[in-house]
Amino acid sequence: MKMQRDEKAAAERMKPGVITSGGFLGTEARALSDIIEADEERFRALGIDFGSAADELERLKAEGAKGLGEQMTVGGRLLVKSDEARGSLPCPYDDGFFHKNSVTLELIATGERLAYSDLSIHLLREHHFCQGEGGAFRLAPDALKRLLLL
Amino acid sequence: MHPLIIGPLVTAGLSSILALVISVTDKIVNDYGEVSVDINGGKKKLAVRGGSHLLGTLATENIFVASACGGRGTCGACKVKVLSDVGPHLPTELPYMNAEEVEANTRLACQVKLKKDIAIEIPESLFNIRKFRTRIESIKDLTYDIKELYLALSDADVAAGGIAFECGQYAQLVAPPYDGIKESTQRAYSMSSSPLDKAHIELLVRLVPGGIVTTWVHTQLKVGDEVEVIGPFGEFGVKDTDALMVCVAGGSGMAPFKSMLNHILETNAYPGKEIWYFFGARSKRDMFYLQQMAELEGKIDRFHFVPALSEPNPEDAWNGPTGLITDVLDTYIKDKMPKGRPMEGYLCGSPGMIDACIKVMSKNGMTQDKIYFDKF
Repeated sequence: MKMQRDEKAAAERMKPGVITSGGFLGTEARALSDIIEADEERFRALGIDFGSAADELERLKAEGAKGLGEQMTVGGRLLVKSDEARGSLPCPYDDGFFHKNSVTLELIATGERLAYSDLSIHLLREHHFCQGEGGAFRLAPDALKRLLLL
Repeated sequence: MHPLIIGPLVTAGLSSILALVISVTDKIVNDYGEVSVDINGGKKKLAVRGGSHLLGTLATENIFVASACGGRGTCGACKVKVLSDVGPHLPTELPYMNAEEVEANTRLACQVKLKKDIAIEIPESLFNIRKFRTRIESIKDLTYDIKELYLALSDADVAAGGIAFECGQYAQLVAPPYDGIKESTQRAYSMSSSPLDKAHIELLVRLVPGGIVTTWVHTQLKVGDEVEVIGPFGEFGVKDTDALMVCVAGGSGMAPFKSMLNHILETNAYPGKEIWYFFGARSKRDMFYLQQMAELEGKIDRFHFVPALSEPNPEDAWNGPTGLITDVLDTYIKDKMPKGRPMEGYLCGSPGMIDACIKVMSKNGMTQDKIYFDKF
C-alpha cells in the first residue's frame, strides 16, 4: 500500500534512535501502512476494536499503579506492574507528548507477557498502530484478545 | 553494458555527487568557527568549535549536565539558564518548561545549537562531575529482576582521588551501542555504595521492559567488562538534624538508603537521628537484603527496618507486616513510632509511590518541606 506523506514522516521517526533508541518498528521489513493494514484486518477477524482495547489497557494501567512499583494481581488472572521513567516522548505522528512509562501484563496461567506505555495506548487508539513485530512494545491483536479477554 | 546495470550505476553516481555537494555546502554554510561559552559570569570560559549542541559540547569539555535520554530531547533533564540570545524556545523544549522557566530563558542544553558566543548559568556542583572508566568487579542477582553491579574505578581515576559523593546521589551509567541500538545511551542510578569507598561504585539496576540500559545490564554485561560512569549528580541526601528519619522505598529504591545506612554505621554520622526504614515488595521473591538490613539493625541501635509484603505467597511463610507499604507506614506512624518528635520523610521510588507516601506523611502531620525524595 502506498504511504501518505505524513505517514512517511511518522515511519522515519519510528526508526531506532529518533524518538526511542529501539524505535517502534521492531524487526519489521514491511511498510508502516502494511503493518497497520494487516493488524486492522486481524482486529476485524477477531471481532475486537481499537478503542475497547485501549480503554482496557488504560484501566489495567490504573490498577497496576496501585502496586506502587510492585506487581499487582488483577482479576485473579493477571499480574500488572506499572513503571515510570523521567521525561516524555513525542508521538511519531507529531500529535502529542506522552509520559515515559511502561506497564507489564503477565497472564498468571501461562506467563505470557505484554508491555505498553501511554504512547502505545495513543498509537493503538488514534493510529491503529500496534507497533512492529519483534519490538518490546508490540501489542499483537491475538495477544490483546487473550490477555484482555476482549 | 546492459541498460539494466547502467541505470542504477548512473543513479548511484549522481546520488554520490549530490551527497558530496551537500556535505561541502554544509561545511561552508554551517561553519560557525570558534564560539565562546561563558559559564556563571566568567567563572569558566570555554573556546569551542561551533555547530554542535550545548550538552555534547560541554561534555567534551568535561562539564556534565544531567541527561537521562542522552541528548534526544525526551527527558527534559538537561536544563540550563541561557543569559544570551539563542533564539526562541523550540517546540521540542516547551513541553518540559513551565512559564517561569520560559520567562527565565531556561533551555534544554541538548536542543541549543552553538552558533555564536553564549553565556549560561549552571549549578557550580556540575564542575565536580567527572567521567570514570570502570571495570565490572561483580554482578549479583538480588531478585529475578534486580541486579547489583559493583564497579571498580580505573587505576588512573583512583590515583586522581576516586569518586567523591554524598549518600543519596546518583551516577549515569553509559551503555555502548549493542544489538540494534546504534548509539550509546545513559541512564541514572542511585549509588548504593558508601562514600568512604572512593575506588568503587555500586548500583542496583531493575530490569525495565524495553529499557535500553537495563536490558543491556541484564543480558549483556559481564564481570570484567569496562564501562563508563558519569557522576555524581543530585541533591537527595540526609539532613543533619535530630528529626526522626522516616525512609520509604521499594525495589531498586533501596540503593540510596543502603548507602546512607552503611555510611552511618562506618562514621556514626547524625548521632541524634533515629531511623525508620520501610521497604515494600510484593512477595518474598521481590524482597532482598533482609540479612544485611537485619545485621545493620543489630549494629545501629537507633535503626529500625520494617520490610512489608503486599501480596505474600503461602510458601513465603511471611510473619512480617503485610499490605501496601503506605498502609504499613500509616499504621507504624500512628501506633509504633515515637510520638511528639519532629519527623523528616526520605523517599525513593516511582512517582506514584512517592505521591502516595507524601499523602500518608502529610496526613500524619509531616510538612511537605520536610519530605525529601528521589523520583525515578
